[in-house]
Amino acid sequence: MKGLSRDLGQILDRNRVLTDPEDLLAYTNDATHYFKRSMPDAVVLPNTTEEVSRVMEYASKHRIPVTPRGAGSGLSGACTPVHGGIVMDMKRMNRILEIDERNMTAAVEAGVVLSRFHRTVEKMGLFYPPDPQSMSVCTLGGNVATRAGGPRGVKYGTTGNYVLGLEIVLPDGTVINSGGKFVKQTVGYDITRLMTGSEGTLGVITRINLRLIALPPEQKTIVVSCESPEQAAEIVSEIIARGTVPSMLEYLGQAAVGLMNSIISPPLTVDAGAYLLIEVDGTRTQVDYDTEVITNLCREMQPRAVRVIEDEKEAASYWKARSNLYPLLMTLMERVITEDLTVPRNMLPQMVRMVQEVSAATGVGIGMGGHAGDGNIHPTILQFQTSPELDEKSQIAIAELLKKGLELGGTISGEHGIGIHKSEYVAWELGEAQIELMKRIKKAFDPLNIMNPGKIWPEGGE
Amino acid sequence: MLKLADYARVINKCSHCGYCQAACPVYLEDLLESHVARARLNLINAALIEKTIPVTPRVKEIINRCLLCTNCTRTCSSKVPCDEIITAARIELSKEAGAVDSLKKFVMRKVLNQRGLAGVLSKAGAVAQKINITSMEMPTLAAVPFDRQVSGTIEPRGERRARVAYFVGCGTNFLFPDTGNAVVKVLAYNGVEVVIPSGIVCCGIPALAEGDLESAQESVRINIEILAGLDVDAIVTDCTSCGMAFKTKVSKVFPDDDPMQEKIKPVSDKFWEATDFLAHLGLVAQPGELKGRYTYHEPCHRGWSPTVDDAPRRLLASIPGAELTEMEEPGRCCGAAGTFYLEHRELAEKIRSHKLKDIRETGAEKVVTQCPVCRFYLEIQLKDQKVVHPLGYLAGAYGL
Repeated sequence: MKGLSRDLGQILDRNRVLTDPEDLLAYTNDATHYFKRSMPDAVVLPNTTEEVSRVMEYASKHRIPVTPRGAGSGLSGACTPVHGGIVMDMKRMNRILEIDERNMTAAVEAGVVLSRFHRTVEKMGLFYPPDPQSMSVCTLGGNVATRAGGPRGVKYGTTGNYVLGLEIVLPDGTVINSGGKFVKQTVGYDITRLMTGSEGTLGVITRINLRLIALPPEQKTIVVSCESPEQAAEIVSEIIARGTVPSMLEYLGQAAVGLMNSIISPPLTVDAGAYLLIEVDGTRTQVDYDTEVITNLCREMQPRAVRVIEDEKEAASYWKARSNLYPLLMTLMERVITEDLTVPRNMLPQMVRMVQEVSAATGVGIGMGGHAGDGNIHPTILQFQTSPELDEKSQIAIAELLKKGLELGGTISGEHGIGIHKSEYVAWELGEAQIELMKRIKKAFDPLNIMNPGKIWPEGGE
Repeated sequence: MLKLADYARVINKCSHCGYCQAACPVYLEDLLESHVARARLNLINAALIEKTIPVTPRVKEIINRCLLCTNCTRTCSSKVPCDEIITAARIELSKEAGAVDSLKKFVMRKVLNQRGLAGVLSKAGAVAQKINITSMEMPTLAAVPFDRQVSGTIEPRGERRARVAYFVGCGTNFLFPDTGNAVVKVLAYNGVEVVIPSGIVCCGIPALAEGDLESAQESVRINIEILAGLDVDAIVTDCTSCGMAFKTKVSKVFPDDDPMQEKIKPVSDKFWEATDFLAHLGLVAQPGELKGRYTYHEPCHRGWSPTVDDAPRRLLASIPGAELTEMEEPGRCCGAAGTFYLEHRELAEKIRSHKLKDIRETGAEKVVTQCPVCRFYLEIQLKDQKVVHPLGYLAGAYGL
């Protein structure tokens, strides 16, 4: 694009504009390794909202696509360009602006890394629960843009439950503020909620007001070795039905635990059909009570073993292994495609059976591992070796999974978002009328269709 | 072997999760996605393996702007040996004429690989002047290198519990002979017979970092021939990088079917970091009181033994009066990385600044670390703290 580098170099300083192909290459993928990659024309690294605004103004004037990007740790292709243009790398905007202990809120710039935010608030006795498993690198801006979640979703919800306000740069460069530090507001449409999960298609999120809660003082981890995947799913349904809410409730297949054992210390015996990894938190009394309720309930259902992990270091090794499950899978596989199907929690046993049936019928290996507690068990396509035939079969399997998941009353994405990964299936869940409404909203925000075009629905929202 | 073609398969094991962003000291300063392992691997794949993009100066710059600290490799759950792939890429690039400049080759071959020769030290000094390095940044060489101070076999005190060979790295030999003296004395004091083999040269890590495979092969050959012939229970080194070299890298400078491999394996198996070795063996002599507060900097090259990072803490905990105050991130890189700090001065200083801040915040009087390069690079900026090897600290408590 002629003059792009020079023009952007006048908006930001020249060393915060990248146009060398060797640099652009780094912005062609997110945490997936199987999409077709396409290069942006430039990457900009803004330091301030004003710079973001001026870049947007410029992009609007010249109708250049802009794709906002956090850490590039998403799993849907939401932050990678499909029509070239500018990638807006938000990681330099990484200041924690305020932690208001008396009000239990925080204000941050979009590029703050989640784990740094966790550490900072936890030192003050505060808690920000959302925990996408890429938390060591992912940014809060990216979390808001994808409405990201993690294991703690079962008790604490996902990012969307904690966003109180946003500073947003609209596609024409206008800066608006939605919501604020207050915990409730009924003034017009809820733009904050609309932006949350919008995957960079409506504007650029530059600042975020977040709600904090009190840090639970105690945690305890329980491991349940189950006879079969079905039994594990039944135990999960039963835990939810009895009204006990663990802070994390993860389902893990046998193969997953085998891989996680390179981190779990001491390693877990790999002889069960499936595993549940559970954490309860709260005050000492609450933790003891919940531990007793859950272990008793599990034992009633006669799994192979129920074990409360007393050693904190050992417990931490389980959760570290859990957050590394995706990269661990690559030690065995050539390709790993993580799906994000989420069903009502009482349907988990049916879902587990369904996934196994689809796997058997299509001949595609599908593992399961994830947030069983909120019905989000991540059926994962496992390819030991890649081939065009297997790719084709995998696509059929994914379509089957999503179709049957919707029949179980579920959703095609619980926390990863749509991006380019699942855009072809969006209509199945939303229906044409809802998509048309969304497209009109998109047009109201972004009449020139420069904000992350090509995402959420295949034709880009025109 | 460190041949890029051999990594063509494993490079595609990168899941692209991007978790290496949290581990890479260079990325954390630059905040450019092209400067982190995930992108470096993509770039090496494109430019040097699949050859879909040309090898430009920018490609070389990105490949060279890496500390080889191995933090990405240690973090990588997909088990991609990122540092080895970058080393192999540098070796590939060095095949181009003049890529490893002749001056560096001279240092590798003539200085590090022939350290016993007379006049070597003066040559090193001349080289330093020639490449215009100020005295502040270039370490002051010891007046008498360790290998001229101590040699032969040192008898153990009391009953002999083990017989070890002491591999003396270049850092200890030329910069910090006090570490060497401490290692020998502390080991002997605890019943370990110490053999100092003569003729030892550089471990090969600096040459590999330059992509100079031939120099690395030469040094490995010399060392292995000497070490393989020794009748010892273990081979100890005080330097985490030398240990890493022998444990995980030297076998990779030769092809898998090279006859050298047979000699390398038993040597490699016997390698221990001295602190780690002693922590496993256990102290027989109770250290005396040594009042004071210390903090411990974990060198990056610690992944070759699961206990090497914790060994200094365990050993020094036995000193009455010595109080450990942990710094914020003990495992964070100091920025030195061999000669990286000379070629990427500004970046290395930024990386170091966090470490210095963390150290100062502990209020400790002493910083303990195994790596001589970390020691040098930290010490030149620390006015109120002394940096010592853990066994140097322990020697003090023994009054040795």
